[in-house]
Amino acid sequence: MSTTETIPAAAPTQDELYQEAARTYSAPLERLARAYEADPEIRRDLLQDIHVALWRSLGGFDGRCSMRTWMYRVAHNVAASHVLRQRRSRSQALVGLEDEELENLPDATSGQPAADRSQALDRLLILIQRLKPLDRHVILSYLEGLDAASIGEITGLSPGNVATKIHRIKTVLARQFQQGGPDHE
Amino acid sequence: MNKLPNNPQQVWQTQPVEGIKMSADAIRQRAGKFERRIFWRNIREYASSLVAALLFAYFFATNHALLFRVAYALFIAGLGWVVFQLHRQGSAKNMPAELGTLTYLQFFRAELERQRDVVKNVWPWYLAPLVPGFVVLTAASVIARPNSAGLATAGLLDVVVAVLFLLIWKMNLRAARCLQRTIDDLNAAERQ
Repeated sequence: MSTTETIPAAAPTQDELYQEAARTYSAPLERLARAYEADPEIRRDLLQDIHVALWRSLGGFDGRCSMRTWMYRVAHNVAASHVLRQRRSRSQALVGLEDEELENLPDATSGQPAADRSQALDRLLILIQRLKPLDRHVILSYLEGLDAASIGEITGLSPGNVATKIHRIKTVLARQFQQGGPDHE
Repeated sequence: MNKLPNNPQQVWQTQPVEGIKMSADAIRQRAGKFERRIFWRNIREYASSLVAALLFAYFFATNHALLFRVAYALFIAGLGWVVFQLHRQGSAKNMPAELGTLTYLQFFRAELERQRDVVKNVWPWYLAPLVPGFVVLTAASVIARPNSAGLATAGLLDVVVAVLFLLIWKMNLRAARCLQRTIDDLNAAERQ
């Protein structure tokens, strides 16, 4: 009998999982909170709520999906609850990617390309914060560089539906950024 | 020379962030704060019911006519039921632990359905429990002042309350329809 049996590594604790997730995804989480909440004070609260929910949820993380998928599910689900709460106090109607109203957002009709990164980011935020939660989710995931399969896994949308939405997003963004069309990239 | 921003993904991913990180201890503290915030948020939601209940408790204690006291007790019981139902089905709650296992569609739809059911069924859990108190209060008022002025006062009170209840009911039905439209949108998106 071998005396050199390897001792299986202990599974990471909830705290260790959280520290790893927070270290890897702190920037995407901040960007996500910014996309869901314009007010800096409320945004800070939202971000902390997301961190707490992530830590709490990781007690049940079983590795059946990637940490990234898990993290985005938690973050978007917390943000969705936030949108539902805020909807009671904010009268501005949200629009879908397919709505014609999206063509008439502020800055979108100025006909000028974004002059610098700050202006480009402002335009992006105006666009994102006017979108309905599901479309907001998809555009944020796209902007974070997630592929259609990952977005489908996080949202529950079919890959075909995600592809359609991404095509529409590219069209809208191309117009906002004066790129000349969805196939520009 | 600065390159003009023409790649939205790059613009998005390179935006300045504060780099907020929380230690596990800070998270635990925040979780405690979160629980307290939820508690106080719920208290604010219940505040009007609690204030009304305290008022009726004061009337109960200071009024010695039996029928009035029964009416006030019924109001307090009705408001207690309303607060219990608010807490059970409509109030802000802690985030469920399974947040990471639910897709956005599953989670968001469940939340919307829960809220829709709360506002759609506002009559049985919010309005109906207060009706017995009003009925007994009307009877007590009429018995206490069995003249035309007493009848007119009680009748006017009942009309005002009935109109108020109707408005609350209609507003909640409208909110339920609005939530249902969002649920329908999600279902349609899922089927595509």
